[in-house]
Amino acid sequence: MSVTTQPTVPLAPDGEPDLTPAKRRGGRMTISRRTNLVGWGFLLPAAGLVTLMSFWPMFRALILSFQSGRGTRMRWADPLWFNYTRLLEDKVFQQTLANTFIYLAIQVPIMLILALILANLLNDRNLRFRGLFRTAIFLPCAVGLVSYALVFRTMFANDGMVNVFLGKLGFDPVPWLNNPTTAKLVIVMGLLWRWTGYNMIFYLAGLQNIDPNTLEAARIDGAGPIRTFLYVTVPQLKPMILLTAIMSTNGTLQLFDESWNLTAGGPGYASMTMSHYLYQVSFQGSPNFGYASAISYVILILVAILALIQMKVGDRRD
Amino acid sequence: MYNLNRRLLLGLGLSAAAVGLAGCGDDGGGTDEPVASEDIPKSGTITVWCWDPAFNLYSMKEAEKVYQKTSPDVKLNIVETPWDDVQTKLTTIAQSKAFDQLPDIFLCQNNAFQKNVENYPDLFADFGSSGIKYDEFPEGVVGYSKFDDKNWGCPFDNGTAVNALRTDILEQAGFTVEDFTDITWTDFIAKGKEVLGKTGKGLMSGEVGSPDILSIMLQSAGGSFFTEDGKANLKDNEKLIKSLEAYRDIVAAKIFTQVNSWDEYIATFINSKVGGVINGVWILGSVQTAKDQSGKWAVTNIPKLDGVDGATNYSANGGSSWAITPKDNKVLAADFLAKTFAGSKELYETILPKAGALANWIPAADSAVYKEPQEYFGGDAIYSKVVDYAQKVPAMAPGAYYYEARDAVAAAIPKIIAGGDIKAALEEAHKTLEFAMN
Repeated sequence: MSVTTQPTVPLAPDGEPDLTPAKRRGGRMTISRRTNLVGWGFLLPAAGLVTLMSFWPMFRALILSFQSGRGTRMRWADPLWFNYTRLLEDKVFQQTLANTFIYLAIQVPIMLILALILANLLNDRNLRFRGLFRTAIFLPCAVGLVSYALVFRTMFANDGMVNVFLGKLGFDPVPWLNNPTTAKLVIVMGLLWRWTGYNMIFYLAGLQNIDPNTLEAARIDGAGPIRTFLYVTVPQLKPMILLTAIMSTNGTLQLFDESWNLTAGGPGYASMTMSHYLYQVSFQGSPNFGYASAISYVILILVAILALIQMKVGDRRD
Repeated sequence: MYNLNRRLLLGLGLSAAAVGLAGCGDDGGGTDEPVASEDIPKSGTITVWCWDPAFNLYSMKEAEKVYQKTSPDVKLNIVETPWDDVQTKLTTIAQSKAFDQLPDIFLCQNNAFQKNVENYPDLFADFGSSGIKYDEFPEGVVGYSKFDDKNWGCPFDNGTAVNALRTDILEQAGFTVEDFTDITWTDFIAKGKEVLGKTGKGLMSGEVGSPDILSIMLQSAGGSFFTEDGKANLKDNEKLIKSLEAYRDIVAAKIFTQVNSWDEYIATFINSKVGGVINGVWILGSVQTAKDQSGKWAVTNIPKLDGVDGATNYSANGGSSWAITPKDNKVLAADFLAKTFAGSKELYETILPKAGALANWIPAADSAVYKEPQEYFGGDAIYSKVVDYAQKVPAMAPGAYYYEARDAVAAAIPKIIAGGDIKAALEEAHKTLEFAMN
């Protein structure tokens, strides 16, 4: 993405175009200053709202994560990092952490590769009903998270559609949601169905920015479609792949709806995600908001670390 | 220096005032003498949160009519609020201290009562001066909302466990409902296997990982996930071990159909996939939605655990109680509940046939309505039967960490069903629960 938006005017340290000569010609207020102020004026309402609605609660959550106690009887934890050390001993949290990383490690790569392939196929100008296919693949994104999760739960029920179908093919019914492995598998399948089309749209948009000449040149040089895809298309899509990878990682680490509605975290804690556990700690069990805040900060730190790694690996401009 | 001192003094003064105010607040609810009748407001609007239009909300509306006979200027403002929302709202209000957002009365799940009273005492007013006679309710039911020796709830929804069976299916296997009355789980499994062999149908169903049946078994012997003083009590809990053994054997005998969700669970007996259901008496509302099965159901008591001290054929699951909040209306709200749900036969006579709301209030059981034969259940007077069961339910030590305990045990169940060692699984669950509790 950043490839297409390389600024042509040299930037001053504050990120504004450096228009020093104009500054000197102005009256009491220089043009640059006025532009700056107008810019800030437009930014202010949004920035104020973001601060009030996002950063302030985040700050309060940080404070809360250093407190312990149930319900409203909160006091400073002793030691202050008590909730964080508690995480290290929490078997359930560790299980949910492992579950979340299993989803991440299996689902995100499959989804992104699939989305990339689909985008490439549907970018073919000669393909008939291109619009129809694109819409069909994107459509799951328009479905509410809860409703699709409930449909998946019904489909994978013991006497659900999938087992009936397997029965017709002569297989034994699979207790999809009762088995730790298959329960996770169902969640992964649900996520793939729901999100592949979403990422495909990003790639399709990215593909529009690729100069067809580069593809033609590769073809003339004798590269087959697969080599063209791997060595010409994919490198040019790199910024977009980075973006989707970070977004998907972020989304998967915060996964809640599927865990809650599809499997209810079960059997036991076998398919529960971190966010689901966080909710349980705050609202279902005896409320422990300090601990829940600590969990949310761990999720934040994990998202930040993973995004950083991805940026280091994926955004190497050469 | 002078300035600093003055500020310090002011600060001290203010905190002293705050302490004084807090002291006043505490005094308010301390007296246990019934409020004199002239002190009860004669008019006002009571705001109520409850969730089921066909059940508790309907009952509340009927209670309004009953109360208006003596206090015509008292009105109710009933806001339909699903339980999950009630819990979230209570939590939010308590955390943000926005107490003006509270209703005057709300309905609280019995299993969540302790947790809320203990963690958010600001949300509750006690019934000490309401004049409700708590000895007119079964002890086990009152226990849910009792905390620090005070009563914080007026019991409403009866959660007495019943064993509902399809007589037509039993008949095919040569049994009657009497064969399933006052029996043990071992008998139940043996007879269940016979029914399964002859009809292909099991006698129970349940959600995988839902410990409903297990906690019914546990309470039937007076057991609990907690000790009397509220500590975790899963490891080496003999009653829990026996319950888990029975649970495992039922599943192994294939007379228990495991499903994944509540709607599937309801479907198992509505669609005649199983020939019975064991749950709180409120499940009969769902049973009766199968109109074609009228007359084919019977209700009896549940099997009891073998070889356990204090084992009975009676237990409970769920239920709910009304709570009042410490707002200006608390005297009126308490009086309202005392004269309706804890004092009006007429109310229970209306809501039983219309909403299937079975009284926890023992005097209601004398009513003729309770003795009427129920056609759906083969002409049996099941309601007076269930009220009778209710009085025999052993009290169970409730705990503020009920949901944590339930989850910990739920995680142990699949391991046990898969043939794992019960003691080891419970030891792990015990650790999980203890961890969650500290």
